[in-house]
Amino acid sequence: MKKNGSKALLLFMTIFLLTGCWSSRELSDLAVVTALGIDKHEDGYKLTVQVMDPGEIAGKDLTTRTSVTTYSMTGKTVFEALRRLTVTTPRKLYLSHLRIILLGQEFSEGGISQSLDFISRDHEMRLEFSLMITKNMEAEKALKILTPIEKIPANKIYSSLQTAQDNWAPAKIVELDELVSSLTVPGKEAVLTGLSAVGSPEVGAQIENVEVVDSHTIVNIDEIGVFKDDKLVGWFNENESKGFNYITDNVRNTIGWVECGKEEEGTISVEVTKNETKLKGSIDSNLPKITIETTIEANIADVECAIDVYDQSKIKEIEGKLKKKIEEIIKESIGKAKELNSDVFGFGQVLSRQEPKQWKQLKDNWDKEFADLDIEVKVKFNIRGTGTITETLLGNMK
Amino acid sequence: MSKLSQVFKALKSKKIVMDNVSDDDNMPLNKEIKKNISEVSKVLGNSFDIVIREFKIGKNPIEACLFYTDGLIDKDLVHNYVLENLMIDGRKAESDEKISSNQDMYNFIKNSSLTSVELTEIDTFQALYQHLLSGDTIVLLNGVSKGFAVGSRGWEDRGVQEPSSQQVVRGPKDAFSETLRTNTALIRRRIKDQNLWIETQKIGKKSKTDVAIAYINGVVNEDIVLEIKERLKKIEIDAILDSGYIEELIQDEIYTPFPTIFNTERPDAVSAGILEGRVAIIVDGSPFVLLAPALFIDFFQSSEDYYQRSDIGSLLRILRFFCFFLALLTPSAFIALTTFHQEMIPTTLLTSLAAQREGVPFPAFIEALIMEITFEILREAGIRLPRAVGSAISIVGALVLGQAAVEAGIVSATMVIVVSLTAISSFVSPTYNMAISVRILRFGFMILAATFGLVGIILGLIIMGLHLSSLRSFGIPYLSPMAPFIPSDQDDALIRLPVWIKENRPRLISQIDVKREATEQPKPPPK
Repeated sequence: MKKNGSKALLLFMTIFLLTGCWSSRELSDLAVVTALGIDKHEDGYKLTVQVMDPGEIAGKDLTTRTSVTTYSMTGKTVFEALRRLTVTTPRKLYLSHLRIILLGQEFSEGGISQSLDFISRDHEMRLEFSLMITKNMEAEKALKILTPIEKIPANKIYSSLQTAQDNWAPAKIVELDELVSSLTVPGKEAVLTGLSAVGSPEVGAQIENVEVVDSHTIVNIDEIGVFKDDKLVGWFNENESKGFNYITDNVRNTIGWVECGKEEEGTISVEVTKNETKLKGSIDSNLPKITIETTIEANIADVECAIDVYDQSKIKEIEGKLKKKIEEIIKESIGKAKELNSDVFGFGQVLSRQEPKQWKQLKDNWDKEFADLDIEVKVKFNIRGTGTITETLLGNMK
Repeated sequence: MSKLSQVFKALKSKKIVMDNVSDDDNMPLNKEIKKNISEVSKVLGNSFDIVIREFKIGKNPIEACLFYTDGLIDKDLVHNYVLENLMIDGRKAESDEKISSNQDMYNFIKNSSLTSVELTEIDTFQALYQHLLSGDTIVLLNGVSKGFAVGSRGWEDRGVQEPSSQQVVRGPKDAFSETLRTNTALIRRRIKDQNLWIETQKIGKKSKTDVAIAYINGVVNEDIVLEIKERLKKIEIDAILDSGYIEELIQDEIYTPFPTIFNTERPDAVSAGILEGRVAIIVDGSPFVLLAPALFIDFFQSSEDYYQRSDIGSLLRILRFFCFFLALLTPSAFIALTTFHQEMIPTTLLTSLAAQREGVPFPAFIEALIMEITFEILREAGIRLPRAVGSAISIVGALVLGQAAVEAGIVSATMVIVVSLTAISSFVSPTYNMAISVRILRFGFMILAATFGLVGIILGLIIMGLHLSSLRSFGIPYLSPMAPFIPSDQDDALIRLPVWIKENRPRLISQIDVKREATEQPKPPPK
């Protein structure tokens, strides 16, 4: 019995050798950070955290207090600023439930890689948040804007970003691991979706912003920002952003429209339901070439002209037009990227995978090679369905 | 530890010495009836329920005497078949037969007069007391140093009623009662096999309780029968008041929260156990019959599993296992998640949990402990409470402690849900004693969760698993047929397959006469 007892004790002791989350923290001792903003400051960084007030979000007796609070602090490093924040925050900041990290535009233009080390090194964060750039404003200001419906602005930004990516296309959720690999792996540059505000951010920080039907200030998902190395160098416009997503096979659902034809006036819109893009790279006598093969399936969603959608030849015609338009969008996007001299599509990476030997010679000179890169775009466009009605209403009008 | 066991030993030896003092009346009966009467009334302390009826038999009257314990006998039987026969036949006998001595009369009574089925000759006081106090009627004749014990047991009995703790929707609705004879009859009525053997013995220096073991010879593992008899023989105790005493005195492992002997008040469950090759231990005075050996999975099986269709029976069994873990781990998992692993909770859920916890003055562990203890108090009170005030407890429990505690901000609403879920899950267990084990272990897991988080819970589960696999019930591994894994026994373990698939008895429990049934799979007639 004595022997068993000491064995059991020894066994019990071994759990102290295990790693795990040791410190227990009660829920009421945590300040749950929903968003983090990083701006440039003369001291180094200005860090802004958006902390939620659970009592105002899910509590029983809601007051007129705001559902989130922000705290800002400067520091030489991100970590220092974060820890210095404890002088103003009531509780210890808890970063696991972070939804979004906003990088100020000015800060992004100056290079972001140094700040990312802390974020990727810290064990507390779940890697589920998206990074974004605040277009034409400081991250601090963007984090202060209150949003209707979603009580936590960070959640509103994240879910807007998600729905925009999934249903509209010119946006992209970039999580930390993807950003870090874009910054470190040769042959691919980083992108981050932008965030902009319509209206004055100062007004948006007032509770009145969510007390009116038409909020004075709203935050919008903007277009995609292009990085060169770790510096923001320019922005795609809406079409270019969409083209970027077509090339990187990140389109889940979007819409497109074309003019109906010569006889019929008006437009026809289709809902893209499936998109598959394959990138093929080849190097012939030191001349790299990329082939983009995109297969798109779509349904007719909106016919605003008197066209007969039963007519297969008409459908073929529409398909041809849409194919051409997609090609144009893709080319526009490539053109802009070449102009900014940033290989955001990862063409270099494609070559490195498919032609690893020859890629080694191109690698050091890739910026120049990218500017003159030969790119072939092949688009296949198939219209599958015509929706729940067959003939357009316009054709049957009295 | 060793010091403690020394104390136990010392106490034990003392007890034996104490018991030995009162066992000295193994003395033979006297020839003179007066002496016998005075001895009996002296020893029994003139107890007022002991009736001594003196009378005379025959024309040359022979003094005779009749003892019985009031309340334990069937008075009609004693009137009609004992006293009447003795007094009337005694007279006739003298004219018909040659009776010259008291001994002749004695033989005549034994052979031709007492029309009772059960008749035992006794010649010592010890036997006299034993029969008398068991409800037999004692007849003594003057001049003969022997007597009769006439079987006349008959006392007020609860009768066969519905089971109170293990009810079923479909299936037999009778339950054991406190009388051994009724209970054995209930088993006999279900298994009319000549190989169903029921052996009895008396246990308890003072209570002299009848304890019967029942098994099917030729199916049961004889080593187990011998082992059970051996362990029963070793029992030295003054009284057995319930089968729980026996369970505690013969179980394999003492230091465990898990029961290693099954108990039930359902005759069908006992019969099923006996048919599988188990041994039933029936104790007079207890409606709970023990079944040994018992395995862990037995405590999750209800008789109804076999009476309903096999698919629903299997689903319910899986549900019971699920509820076992739910009852065991819900509070501890909740504590671990909310105090250690907040990152594992979805953000929206965390928000609402955090909102509820704003203003709750206690840490989650204390909060859970308060609610769990409150619940245990309510449960205990609910059992002991007089039925008339029973509804009060539900009002106090539900309204005062549940709703008001939340509204007062002492506990969070989620914690009430967690504790209620735990409570309801623990009632799913078809056997009460497994639910008790869970109740005990739950608190251990809560402490582990509060100190080490999920690491602690996993550690607790590992220790529990190791402990369970170290247990044996009369030599059979407690976790079988899971560990050791016995493929052929899986048809009636976690799930219950249709009866026509379950051909064999459980392998470890019975190894002789293995085949149970050979019905072919039912086939629908061709259309």
